[in-house]
Amino acid sequence: MKNLVNIVIISLMIVSCQKTPEFPNPNYSLGGGVFVVDEGNFRAGNGSLSFYSYDSSKIYNDLFNSVNGRPLGDVPNSMAIKGDKAYIIVNNSGKIEVMDQSTLKSTTTITGLISPRNISFVNDNKAYVSSLYSDSVTIINLSSNSISGYINLRRTSEAIAIAGNKAFIANWSEGKEIMVVNALIDKVLDSIEVGIEPESMTFDKNGMLWVLCNGGWARQNYAELVEIDPNTDYIEKTIVFPTKEASPTCLKIDGLGQTMYYLDNGVRQLDINAMEIPSSIFIIQESGEYFYKIAINPYNNDIFVTDAVDFVQQGYLLLYNSTGTLVSKLRAGIIPGSMCFKLSINT
Amino acid sequence: MKNTLLYIAIFLSIPVHGQMSAGTDTIKIKEVIISRIKLPSDPPGYKKTTIDSSVLVNYSNSNLSDMLSENTDIFIKSYGMGGTATPAFRGTDASHTLVDWNGININSPMLGQTDVSLIPVGLIDDVQILFGGASMSLNDGGIGGTINLVTKPVWMKETLISINGGTGSFGQYSGLIKVKAGNYKFQTITKGYFQNSENNFRYLNTEIGSEPVWQTRTNSGIQQQGFIQELYLRNSNNIASARIWYQSEDRNLPASMLTSPNPGEKQFDESLRTMLNYDSFKGNANLSFTGAWMMSRLNYFNPLASIDSRNLSEILTLKASLDNPIGEYAKLKIVLEDQSTVINSNNYNQHKTRNTATLAASIERNKNRFGTTILLREILDNSTLLIPDFSAGVQYRLIEDKPYYLKANISRNSKMPTMNDLYWVPGGNHDLKNEYDLVYEISYEMNQKISGPLNLKYNLAVFRYNMKDMIQWHPGQYSYWTADNIQSAKSTGAESSVSLDYMRNKINASLKAGYSYTRAVAGGSNIGNDISIGKQLMYIPENKSTAAFRIGYKNIYSSWVANLIGQRYITVDNSKYLPGYFINNLSIGIKFTLKSSSIDMNFDIDNLFNVNYQSIAYYPLPGRSYFMKILFQLTK
Repeated sequence: MKNLVNIVIISLMIVSCQKTPEFPNPNYSLGGGVFVVDEGNFRAGNGSLSFYSYDSSKIYNDLFNSVNGRPLGDVPNSMAIKGDKAYIIVNNSGKIEVMDQSTLKSTTTITGLISPRNISFVNDNKAYVSSLYSDSVTIINLSSNSISGYINLRRTSEAIAIAGNKAFIANWSEGKEIMVVNALIDKVLDSIEVGIEPESMTFDKNGMLWVLCNGGWARQNYAELVEIDPNTDYIEKTIVFPTKEASPTCLKIDGLGQTMYYLDNGVRQLDINAMEIPSSIFIIQESGEYFYKIAINPYNNDIFVTDAVDFVQQGYLLLYNSTGTLVSKLRAGIIPGSMCFKLSINT
Repeated sequence: MKNTLLYIAIFLSIPVHGQMSAGTDTIKIKEVIISRIKLPSDPPGYKKTTIDSSVLVNYSNSNLSDMLSENTDIFIKSYGMGGTATPAFRGTDASHTLVDWNGININSPMLGQTDVSLIPVGLIDDVQILFGGASMSLNDGGIGGTINLVTKPVWMKETLISINGGTGSFGQYSGLIKVKAGNYKFQTITKGYFQNSENNFRYLNTEIGSEPVWQTRTNSGIQQQGFIQELYLRNSNNIASARIWYQSEDRNLPASMLTSPNPGEKQFDESLRTMLNYDSFKGNANLSFTGAWMMSRLNYFNPLASIDSRNLSEILTLKASLDNPIGEYAKLKIVLEDQSTVINSNNYNQHKTRNTATLAASIERNKNRFGTTILLREILDNSTLLIPDFSAGVQYRLIEDKPYYLKANISRNSKMPTMNDLYWVPGGNHDLKNEYDLVYEISYEMNQKISGPLNLKYNLAVFRYNMKDMIQWHPGQYSYWTADNIQSAKSTGAESSVSLDYMRNKINASLKAGYSYTRAVAGGSNIGNDISIGKQLMYIPENKSTAAFRIGYKNIYSSWVANLIGQRYITVDNSKYLPGYFINNLSIGIKFTLKSSSIDMNFDIDNLFNVNYQSIAYYPLPGRSYFMKILFQLTK
């Protein structure tokens, strides 16, 4: 009996002692830098948050877990900062983690969302959250950090771009429309038919809205870049990609609002006045790399690219200067995805 | 290494408090003629074990997943009650494990694996485990090994009816009825079962907030039912049989603890397996024909993601084999098998077919203390001849007339891509090659009667697997993944098992304990600075140990089964892992026999110490649970 008790005790010690190894407390200075949302694998719960610090030129990984003592959730998709709060949208956990942006301590978890993807702020008190599976955009009350309502689009949603009192919401998955919403009354005003699967959007220096339509995963349609006047909702220009094999994603623009960037087997550049898609590649994707997301520092035009490698092991954050020269390559989390700048004019 | 030593220490200290098993009173049976049933022969030089009916009877209301996990070296990757469970040998993948029914493979041709949580142990008479190259004596594709489920007759003049009912925690209730009748020339066996379970157990969710929260598992119920009908006919030199196995399962799939909202996934599985077999014996020669037609349906629904996946596969297998003696000490075995597969799936562009023809020839020779085996296999995949596989084994009996064997074998075994690997839309790759491995194995086996009532069996095996051209789904040029032969891995390890049986007067006891060590690491890749190279593969435990002590005295019996699983890494760079766990199950029963009938009542406690654990990250498993069953048996 005594042996048995010993065995049980030893066994329980094994179970209780072997916890996930703790990451060292980063003790980083939250000066200027960029957050990287590491998506992790679907249903594996291994998504995380990284931060690249300009001060130390280092990357700090697994921050949410090390600060809050619990996993971030299943497939965090995007992050945004408003005032002193940071918001991480966790897709397959149907939640938004609201954190103090300087300490990263979670202050509230907004739950009950259906497959949320991206958040965009209408004003200081209201935000819209898109959804991959539901037909509605969720309205978030930023004062109470709660769901205050829904806007029924009758279709799924992805990217959200807000200009004045108008929200432009892309119906990406199997869609081809940009829904126009009156953000004062939260009602759908209009819809604009664009190319297949509008995936990402950005505004240029003239206030024009650019929509990147991927063309669909099956490559049966051409990808398109569509320029829309947000005042009239009219399409001003459509640039069709030269081959169906082109599969562009993740449209961004530089700090001047003049040069757009996107990913298509490397980093591509396009001036807003261009009439056709250039054939050259600005930054070449090397063998073994998989460029997944891109972000442009609006102040110095540094180019951040995430490399998801094989989507299983930890990926990389690549930092290029504005001329496309690689400055550093740092190991991030699993499937490093969208990025969120934490910058000031002095950074 | 420290952990390894600790596990070994625990393993060595377990024995006396171990396990127990049924079989208390001696039952006088009528004359039994052991026939030559079509079972795989045991070629010299290979490791093969059999889980016999005395163990299986303890799991008559359980599924194959629980039985394999607690009694073998096979690692079961389980999503918990109601979820899928897949078996893997020696660091290989679930798709490298074949599950056979009387020598005919029943793996899904689409997924290439079998969900062993759906197979009720009560339907099965024996379970044979063929490790590594030993699987080549049955089929192709069992890179890791083969689990052969045997259903068979007992040739005696008897009618037997048994009714088994059980109920337990989490809304579990089940029933199993068996009717066996016949004589020395004809046997009919009917088995029917149902199992229902809500699986609505409580668990502590430590992952979603700053404080742990007790939650109830939802969307994890399962209903299943099925039957097997078998007919056997024989005369002096021939045996003919017909078998039908039908089962269906309707289940909700439980979600990860981190998933919200619960997507409400459902899966419907249905299978109909039929088999006709004819064996003819002449002297020591055996000619055998088997024809099998098997249908399996798998429909998956995810209302949240609007997924309605419907899949139907049909396989027609024709198999002929000849065992023919060559001289006094050797025999030649030739197996010719043709398999036609048809898949109808809304995940493929159109229905897909595949035809494979396999010719395997082996020579086995046993003379004096030496035994040898040489096997060659050639596969014709549609119209393409594949690189042949081979295996060679050697065996030496250390002491004349004593069952102490030293064995060694080397094999090249390959596995064809699954139909999903080839044709799934998007990403299926028509140009995939076979995966293959080179297996090296040395083992020692002994069976020793220590004293009158005490018998000792011991087995030690050391293995090495070099796996090449492994198929991996990876991000392709566009926004979807594709399958390619890009992975390699090496697995090295050892398995040891000891079995002590004691039988004297009214006491019947057995102690079985096993330990396995598996170091399975990722090989080279086309990724620069790949951090997975040389690291333990995810979800493969380095250490696994099982122990079972079973004892019976007069009409009372009891068993204690302990199962220890070491830590399993959940990232390819081994930076994170799930902690190991040690689960104990206790069972006690009493059996009353009255003339030709008997009643057996049994009470089980699973996870006796209420350990909180996970087999897959964020999929909780139940704490302490109870199950009560009663078996009524009538023999005439």
